[in-house]
Amino acid sequence: MSSTLFSSLSWRRFGSGILPWLLPLLILAGWEYSARSGLLSTRVLPEPWAVAKAAWHLVQTGELWSNLKVSAGRAFAGLAIGGGLGLLLGLLTGLFVPAQVALDSTLQMLRNIPPLAMIPLVILWFGIDEGAKLFLVALGVFFPLYLNTFHGIRTVDRNLIEMARSYGLSGWRLYRDVILPGALPSILVGLRFSLGLMWVLLIVAETISSSSGIGYMTMNAREFLQTDVVLVGILLYALLGKIADVAAKGLERVCLRWHPSYQ
Amino acid sequence: MSSAARTQLLRDSTLAGREQPQSPVGSATGTKGSNGLAISVRGLEKHYGERQVLRGLSLDIARGSFVAIVGRSGCGKSTLLRIVAGLEQADGGKLDVGSAGCACGERPGIRLMFQDARLLPWKNVIDNVRLGLPRSALPAARAALRDVGLEDRARDWPAALSGGQRQRVALARALVHRPQLLLLDEPLGALDALTRIEMHALIERLWREHGFTALLVTHDVQEAVALADRVVVIEDGTIGLDQAVGLTRPRGRGSQEFAALEDRVLTRVLQQGSGNLADPPTAAEQVDALRLAAVRWVI
Repeated sequence: MSSTLFSSLSWRRFGSGILPWLLPLLILAGWEYSARSGLLSTRVLPEPWAVAKAAWHLVQTGELWSNLKVSAGRAFAGLAIGGGLGLLLGLLTGLFVPAQVALDSTLQMLRNIPPLAMIPLVILWFGIDEGAKLFLVALGVFFPLYLNTFHGIRTVDRNLIEMARSYGLSGWRLYRDVILPGALPSILVGLRFSLGLMWVLLIVAETISSSSGIGYMTMNAREFLQTDVVLVGILLYALLGKIADVAAKGLERVCLRWHPSYQ
Repeated sequence: MSSAARTQLLRDSTLAGREQPQSPVGSATGTKGSNGLAISVRGLEKHYGERQVLRGLSLDIARGSFVAIVGRSGCGKSTLLRIVAGLEQADGGKLDVGSAGCACGERPGIRLMFQDARLLPWKNVIDNVRLGLPRSALPAARAALRDVGLEDRARDWPAALSGGQRQRVALARALVHRPQLLLLDEPLGALDALTRIEMHALIERLWREHGFTALLVTHDVQEAVALADRVVVIEDGTIGLDQAVGLTRPRGRGSQEFAALEDRVLTRVLQQGSGNLADPPTAAEQVDALRLAAVRWVI
């Protein structure tokens, strides 16, 4: 009796829809309960309800929006500079052997320096201005895009290139119709790596020192022991990371719709 | 079937093959009023490092004829095709295609079909067919696709097609260019037997309609005899046998003349196999495969 009940289709659909959310909801409820009953000090972790209220307050005062704008602006400016350069150099070294010989080994050496290790030097060079944050983000996103673009171009099916040449394609047309689409899956993987690194580096850069942005907001709140605002900041970073990832996935679905794994 | 019986049958069909009237080289059904290119190869040499692949190979192919080249793996048949296509350079000798006499670079009148279809996976079927052509070629691409019976798949991605369908798209892609010489590099090697027979009929029909010269490289002797005016066996980098096929088209595979011709070519390919220098495992495998095919046709 019970086994037929559990195996019925509607129950299974209900189960697979609800079940993944059960554990987070339980944790949230437990958190709320322990914060209210005093088991958890608000200094350590404020109750979820308080976090929601703080977020709403920040939205109303406009603080949240302005800081979000500043942070997102920094992140995408860094991505545009660093990612653009990575893409450009990857195309250059992937397509032209002299460029590869001249540049690739140098870039491979630089790749091994963790961008965060550059912080002291970056502060000496740029102070604690916008320049320092942009430089850190750009440096971090450069390498994933560079490496994956280079790799993508180098692993385009030689047989397809041979076929295209025998059909009279060369120069720009060969590049547009065969090499670039063939390298695109790899380039998009690089973009997703870059997006992940972009937020990490931005958080670090904003936490060190800034006078605006989400990092500033959370560090400021820490001074005043406003743990609820700190938590809002943390959740905002998570949300931004998720949005960037979803956007990258959407881009893949559009650009690689020919690929069997996206059909 | 015992091996003695098989030998007997093989001998019988070989005798039948000898009775077959042999027309002189290159005159089979060739020189009809076609727009094909003639090929003249003189003393072609090619080596990869120490290994000599082609040793002074000479071959004349009449305009509009269908010539099949058979041989064991590594005999140099694909190399010959790639040199004719301009994908590789010969180390010596003379190659003359059509009246142009150019032995370099890309040749507009020549199209090559590869063993794998080599469709661009990011272009849909119709865009693959009109690869390298301006937008105005769209009607021609559609017509070519209709020719191979895939007009209704024009908007599909290549990944959604079967192996045989992909090769048909590749064939359409070659035909759009109105080739004067179509080179086929084992284009049906990866297809199943039924699809192959369908493809044979398709290729034969299109060859008759378009009148191009066709040069087919294959390791399937039956396929060669079914399609070609002439079957050329390449062994050790030079021509071992040049067999005209005078059967009327369309060719029934069950006929005795067909079996006899197939056997004659097969015997030649196999003879060359005993005591040959090629790498042993693949050579042995191929002997087995060919023997099975022989048995199938003498029963």
